[in-house]
Amino acid sequence: MKRDLLDILACPLCKGDLTLEVFEENEKEILTGKLTCPACKETYPIEEGIPNMLPPDLRE
Amino acid sequence: MKDEDIKLAVKNGYARIARKSDLCCSSSGCCGTAAPIKISKKIGYSDQEMMSVPSEANLGLGCGNPTALASLQEGEVVLDLGSGAGFDCFLAARRVGNSGRVIGVDMTPEMIEKARRNSSRAGFANVEFRLGELESLPLEDGEVDVIISNCVINLVPDKEQVFREAFRVLKPGGRIMVSDIVLLAPLPDFIRDSVDGYVGCVSGAVMKDQYLEAIRSAGFQYVQIVDESAFPLDCLANESAGQQVMGKSKIPARKLKEVEASISSLKVSAFKPA
Repeated sequence: MKRDLLDILACPLCKGDLTLEVFEENEKEILTGKLTCPACKETYPIEEGIPNMLPPDLRE
Repeated sequence: MKDEDIKLAVKNGYARIARKSDLCCSSSGCCGTAAPIKISKKIGYSDQEMMSVPSEANLGLGCGNPTALASLQEGEVVLDLGSGAGFDCFLAARRVGNSGRVIGVDMTPEMIEKARRNSSRAGFANVEFRLGELESLPLEDGEVDVIISNCVINLVPDKEQVFREAFRVLKPGGRIMVSDIVLLAPLPDFIRDSVDGYVGCVSGAVMKDQYLEAIRSAGFQYVQIVDESAFPLDCLANESAGQQVMGKSKIPARKLKEVEASISSLKVSAFKPA
């Protein structure tokens, strides 16, 4: 996921703004990290560059 | 069937397709098989378009959305609902150029992984994929110029919610251009109740009027049918990826033919008021 994408990402549940925590990043994008919604406290993992924005009950 | 069961069946069904097309390309050497290309030509994509993106991105699924792609302008932000292996996203990315951006959302991890591999192999800098659900899009309000979707919304149990979410994320004046399967007559029970039929884009389809009303009631204006054609059921039942879906189905081919007349492939455009 590219950093500037954060501007338009929102929590799928409450549509609130997300905060980003980066664990691993290369020159192009964030590879591993975590998005957190401060409003509803839900977290969304970023794995292999892909943010998993599925609501928690649909994740594997 | 409960909505949650349907969702799981759809997710697993398309995960199987993603994995199967992986296998096909890596081991048996049948990569470049004519089927997805043949289907894509039949539904209106040009040779030139198909050559311009990674061939692995074209699984031969969907009913085609070439008109929507043709309307894209340089610099636009495009959202593809149900992006699969990324075929339409890559075509859109070429259209909107580096000043534009394409976001693909899909709920199947296997498809997203495939799309991402295709993207990095082809070096697209303006395409991004994320795992997400169409009924609860992970995007802020009013950020998208154009929403495209190719034969996916029929798979979602709550279609009204999909259009409400689409409306929310579009900029004022933004447009939605979707291609989908709708019904002209109710399906017989044996298909409507079939999970395979659902995954194969048929059982989840709703009546055409109901579909258009779902778009209007979300707030869209100028809801217009751009194109309407008989759904090439043979694409689904006999070829490539369609066969993988319908292959295990207990529905006899003769009966499938009978319902072909009640299934239509629809292309609709609509606008969010400016």
